Amino acid sequence: MREIKHYRVPSRTAILFTILLARCAVSESLASDGTAEALVNSKCAVCHSAKGDGKWDRISESRRTPEGWDMTVARMSFAHGVKMTREERSSIVKYLSDAYGLSPDESAAHRYIVDRTPSVVEHPENKLIGDTCARCHSYGRIAVQRRTEADWRKLVHFHVGQFPAIEIQAGGRDRNWFEIATGDASVELGKVYGFESDSWNKWKAQKPADASGSWRLVGHKPGTGAYEGTATVKRTGNDAYSVSMTVRYENGTSEQLSGSALVYTGHEWRATLKSGEREINQVMTLADGGRSLSGRWFESGYDAIGGTLRAVRADGAKPTVLSVQPAALKAGTRGRLVINGVGLDGDVSLGNGVKVLSVAERSAERVVVEVESAKDAVTGPREVKVGNARSGDALKVYQRIDYVKITPDHPMARVGGNGGSMNKVPAQLEALAYTVGADGKAGTADDVQLGAMPATWSFDNLNKVAAEMKDAKFAGRIDQTGLFMTNDAGPNPQRKYRTNNAGELKVTAAVKDGTRTVKATAPLIVTVQRFNDPPIR
Amino acid sequence: MNRLKPLNRKAHQIEAAPNDEAVEKVVAMTAAVAGCATTFDPGWELDPFLGVAGLCQPMEADLYGCSDPCWWPAQVPDTLHTYPDWNTGKDDAARDWKALQSVFPK
Repeated sequence: MREIKHYRVPSRTAILFTILLARCAVSESLASDGTAEALVNSKCAVCHSAKGDGKWDRISESRRTPEGWDMTVARMSFAHGVKMTREERSSIVKYLSDAYGLSPDESAAHRYIVDRTPSVVEHPENKLIGDTCARCHSYGRIAVQRRTEADWRKLVHFHVGQFPAIEIQAGGRDRNWFEIATGDASVELGKVYGFESDSWNKWKAQKPADASGSWRLVGHKPGTGAYEGTATVKRTGNDAYSVSMTVRYENGTSEQLSGSALVYTGHEWRATLKSGEREINQVMTLADGGRSLSGRWFESGYDAIGGTLRAVRADGAKPTVLSVQPAALKAGTRGRLVINGVGLDGDVSLGNGVKVLSVAERSAERVVVEVESAKDAVTGPREVKVGNARSGDALKVYQRIDYVKITPDHPMARVGGNGGSMNKVPAQLEALAYTVGADGKAGTADDVQLGAMPATWSFDNLNKVAAEMKDAKFAGRIDQTGLFMTNDAGPNPQRKYRTNNAGELKVTAAVKDGTRTVKATAPLIVTVQRFNDPPIR
Repeated sequence: MNRLKPLNRKAHQIEAAPNDEAVEKVVAMTAAVAGCATTFDPGWELDPFLGVAGLCQPMEADLYGCSDPCWWPAQVPDTLHTYPDWNTGKDDAARDWKALQSVFPK
């Protein structure tokens, strides 16, 4: 498959990104010895006058994620001509992220925009802010910033000056936009996403956590499945680490990854790791005083290809069950379960109706058991115990798969490649199985999600217009892991109007449950490239 | 129509249309390609119906109608202020699109 090969080859963009992150690690020493503050004084204070005590006009009136600061600092270069090397840019971003970042609580509800979870449909928490900002940006982009009310208002003025069409676009021209944006909207932004916060003040007062040590990790990669593994993290400087990881997937494959990480703001873990030619970026949060790490990772240049990860200290951690593979067991069947965790020592208990026949393998981090579930085993999630180690709902028992949902709910892919500067953006789909629970009704609170199931994937035109335009013929193809890869970018002379290989598709997943087949469908939109593609969109 | 003489290709298409439905299609597409950015305001990546059928087709036909008046600056570089040289020397987007760069400096 040509497309698969395409996304596995590191692009020029990906290589540049690696260099930037790698140099972040080098530059951290600058941040720690006062050189970074001197850099802000030399590069930024020409326009943003220094007020002393680590404060500058405008700069110290807002707080952001590391990506948010990087976008601001980068804009000072390309829009205002500030000359700085990559090392200087990285050093300034590290310094400002530490001094003016977000506490873990402040970004928790909008991690998807920072960790680049694909195809998230937002439901803006604040209508006025959504109406004002989210007609061009994601709502999440605004929600991971904190500014004084005056600074939010200055941001409106900046938009009017830099992007004057803002007042005559839809959502701008048909109301008194400028008065609303500089008035009520700025006031609301200052209230909802204001600069001052108890959460940030408390976070700043905390002692920085040290991430070095041995870690036990579990995770899930859509299209491939669950995985588990270990990591060794070694401190190489202030907030800088080397990382070595072993990952074993439930399909039997495994990989070794190694690279470096830098922790911004005391919790924003950013790592770049390589596994052969593959390069991945981790966007995670260091929590619990440096005892847990969780977030998302993705391949450089291909945000949709990645997974979630959760890790705890393997050295001296409280005994815990982290995951069970597979996470769902059908009633009246026999099977093998892998229980992953730390401090696993003692009897295995899987609750009523699930009997452990034998223990095939055991260590403090992994116990493999042969099990049998009774035909009348109660449907639902259950706790898994290994001695004192336990999980919350790591195993689900079910009688039958009642329905399936495709996730993401509204997947979107983009054409790319074909000699252009942007990669194709694939969509990685999964078929999540559900059982309806005791009430026998689908879509109610007692439904139990059983996790991703193998499915047969297909797609067709979404509607009559798509059929007339033959979208299904031109937009791309899907493999049996649920990976939809688009076709080439550019006008297509074979299509009506020479239109792009965009399209409106209906994708179908068919999941086998014994002799039954349970199907789900979802709209899949294939659209065009975006030529402005910052880390937070 | 008897007193009107078609002067360009689209006008000829209207004259040659076999029925009223086909005329409607020609008119709709004329508006979509020539003036979608200022007339219908489709989203950059999704139209108002959360699909792509209502977007400019092909996108390149009106790409500079987005970049020059700073219409989708979050998605398409604005050549008005921020990236004045983005499409310099790439006068025909449908022909030169491969040379257009993604602008955020990694």
